[in-house]
This record gives sequence, structure tokens and C-alpha cells, in this order.
Amino acid sequence: MESNAGTTETRSNVTVPDGGEVAAFESLQFTDEIHRLISAPGTDNASSFTALLELPATQVVELLHSPESVKLIVASAPNVEDFKGSFHFPSNTGLIQKDARFSVFSGEGNNKNEKSNSPEMTSKNSSANLEKAVKSEPAETVSSLPLVSDPTMENRNIKRKDREKKVKGSTKKSKTATNERLEDAEKLPYVHVRARRGQATDSHSLAERARREKINARMKLLQELVPGCNKISGTALVLDEIINHVQSLQRQVEFLSMRLATVNPRIDFNLDSLFTPESGSTMDGGNFPSLVTPLIWPDVQVNGYRQQFQHQWHFDTLKQPIWGREEVCNNYVTLENSLLSCDSSANSAATLHANQLKMEL
Amino acid sequence: MHLPHSTLKQEFVKKWIMGLQRCKFSNKKMSIFERKKAIKLSADTAMASARKGLTCWSRALISNPDRPVPTTTRRASSACKKIVKRSRRIRRTAKCGAARKGQITRSIAQCLVRKRTQILKSLIPGGEFMNEVCLIEETLDYITSLRVQVDVMRSLASASAHN
Repeated sequence: MESNAGTTETRSNVTVPDGGEVAAFESLQFTDEIHRLISAPGTDNASSFTALLELPATQVVELLHSPESVKLIVASAPNVEDFKGSFHFPSNTGLIQKDARFSVFSGEGNNKNEKSNSPEMTSKNSSANLEKAVKSEPAETVSSLPLVSDPTMENRNIKRKDREKKVKGSTKKSKTATNERLEDAEKLPYVHVRARRGQATDSHSLAERARREKINARMKLLQELVPGCNKISGTALVLDEIINHVQSLQRQVEFLSMRLATVNPRIDFNLDSLFTPESGSTMDGGNFPSLVTPLIWPDVQVNGYRQQFQHQWHFDTLKQPIWGREEVCNNYVTLENSLLSCDSSANSAATLHANQLKMEL
Repeated sequence: MHLPHSTLKQEFVKKWIMGLQRCKFSNKKMSIFERKKAIKLSADTAMASARKGLTCWSRALISNPDRPVPTTTRRASSACKKIVKRSRRIRRTAKCGAARKGQITRSIAQCLVRKRTQILKSLIPGGEFMNEVCLIEETLDYITSLRVQVDVMRSLASASAHN
């Protein structure tokens, strides 16, 4: 996959120039941690989504043989703007797994012009019966197959919004028109939804259904991203989990920033001296060793505020489903251990300092 | 273009270091809370700018960096209690019209979902102005960015604590 290749490239770029840096500061495990952090392989999301991406081709073949008429034009390319991250936004995957009768394609909201297609579509919709549509469907799916395979395999940059809006009585269309449509499919801004059998076919309900499908597709992605949401069914509970997750992440940021605040003064002194002109990745290796210089002062500070934080820590670890809960717990434990070690050594001084600080505040 | 996890991390680290430099910490009298605020501010803006303005929340965060501190509220239990009471009331009235039970459960579910989307909107920066579709996309992005932020900060803090 392109993006994976891109990540490997960047990773190699990061490690090679850092080799010299690491050698220079070998004794500092800090740099190793940072390098490991930065050059760590992508999260597991990438693997799961790329595995899911293999589905489209096979699913299309499956759907070809289904008795119901399904025209599947898969919009595979994720939206460039909206998403980044370890996953390729395979908005089609959730939809492919849907009922074969119901062909809804998830594309990204885009304002490209599709005027040429709409008249085609309306003419297509106006006539012919379902049987003819069935016959035309497989032909269209066949012609759509090469298009499908290409985008899934090659390029994530192309925005493809392929949704076909077809009322039940759709016409039998000429091959040329369908091919045109498929080629223009990349520029479709409209959301096209097929009406299910026995369901209302007015535009409002169709649009509503399209919107709901869009939302459901994205909710599925969210479920996969947030740990522990896979088994939960029901939008409200999933939203609950998501809210908890976001809140816990925000609280972690707050807490970590407070923790870093105690360390801060040392950072300032050394950053200025070592902040050489940015050379991309080498800067990371060059700067962080500076932070490692002896930090006697912060230990004393942290003790004073330990009690305030402990409640929050315990609440976080026990109550909320935290992302990476295990490692968070470990971090809390190590922090407490380090604090305890400092505690024994400088207890009286710590309390004195803490009192002084509180009075200052 | 999807930014993979590692490149986003690199971007964030770069920008955060620049931001930390710019905040003048030479004034030693700065209290710890002010320092913490400055750190968080620089981290947030670094995270938001690492997205290069492609997402709604990043733009909102840059324009309005002061967010209310997330408080530990027991909103879930209180909301559930209210909804249960309301559903009981509705069920009592609906005992006469049993045909509407499907609608009632649906309306209760809709009410729950609506409450939660409101809460989510308050959490995501700039979320009040988005429709549902955008909101979910923004949360996806926001969660990944938050994870990157937490990762970097935690490694930094733990590494400095070790030495």
C-alpha cells in the first residue's frame, strides 16, 4: 500500500540520521525511548483496515452471483482532508458487509461537479422494470470491477463518491452510458441510495436513509478505533464509550502537562543551547538528550502535589475505560514508586517546599 | 492524505518543541499552574497545527485555545435516571395505546442518542457547529491526535523521571 510504503520510508529516514545522534548519547535511555516512540510501527489499526480493504474485490465477486440486483461501485479512496492516522478510511467496508440488496456506497462529502451525471441518472430512473435492471446490473458490476480493483489497490488520494440513486423502477441503460457514469463516478458529489423493496421511495426518505447510512458507517469506524466498543450494540452505548474515551484522553493530557510543568525549568535552559537549526528528524534526536540533565528540583515539587493527583489517578484507572489501560496503570505505578523513593529521601524538605509554594499561590 | 501515526508524532514533537521554546520560562516566579497551562497550551496548538488546518477541530482549537477543564461529573447516571423516569411515565400513559410501544422505545433511544451527541459536541473543540456526520469524523481525527499527544507527553515525562 502506498501509505504503508510511505511510512516505512519515513521511518528509515528517521532512523538513519539518528544513528549518529544515538551513538553520541548512548548512555541516555531517553533518546532511545524517543526514537522508539517516533519510529514505532503504526498502530494495529492499520493492519485491521488494510485487511478489511481486501474485502471489496471478493465481495464484489460475491455480489455478482447474488440473485438480487446489486450494482456495487465501491468508493474506496478515503477522504484526503478528513482523515489521517493509522487507518485508511475504508468507508466502503462497513457497507460492503451490509445486505446485498442494499447498495449504499460511502464516499466523502465533496463538492465536485456532477451535473453531467444527474441527467443520466434521472433518465435512467424513469423507465424500465426491475428485471431489466437486473440484467444490466451484472454487466455494470463487471465493468465496475476493474475500476474497483484499481482504486483499492493503488491510490488513496483519488476521491471517489460513487453512490447511485435508483428508485425501484430503474431503466435498462446502454453500456456506454454506464461506462460513462462509472468513469465519471470519481466526481460524483451526490449521495445515491437504492431504495429497498417495499420502502418509501420519495426523495426525502431516500436522502434520510443515505444520511443514516453515512452516519452508521462512520460509527463503525469509531467503534473500531475506541477499544472495547466492538461488542457493544446500540448507538447510545457506543457514544457513551466514545465520550468516556475522549474525556479520559483529555484528562490524561491535563495531568501529563501538569507533571511536565514540574520538570520544566531544566528544559528551558538546555533547549536554547541545543536547539540547532532544524534538520527534520535529527532535531528530535538532538534536543531530547538535553532534557535528561539532572532534575533534582522537580522531584521535590511533585511531592507536594501528589495527593491532589492521586485521587484523579485512581479514579481514572478504576472507573474509566482508558485507552491502553494496562500501560497507563504501569505508568502510574512507576510514578508512584519514583515519588516514594524521593519521599523517603527528602520528606521534610518536600513538605516545606510544598507549603511555601501553596502560600505563594 | 492519511498521515500515519509516526509522521503525525514527528510533526507534533517538532512543533511542540518550537512552542515550548517560545514560551519564556525564564521568569522563575511563574507558578506551577501557569507553567502547566502554558505547556498544555503549547501542546494543544502544536497538535492542532500538526493537522495543518485540514480538520474543523484543529481550526477551532487554534482560534480558541482555552478550553474548560474536563470535570469528573456523574452525568451518565443522572441522565439515565431521568430517562428511566420519563420512560416509566410514558409507559404508564401508553398502556392504553399499546400500539405505540415501538414508537416509544424509538423515541427513548433517540432521546438518549441526542443527549450523548450534545455531550460529544461540548467535548470536541468547535463541535457545536457541526452536523452529526462531521461530528463523528472530527471525533475520529481528534481521538487519534489526542492519542499521539498523550503518547509523546507520557514518554517525555517518564523519560525525564527516570533520569
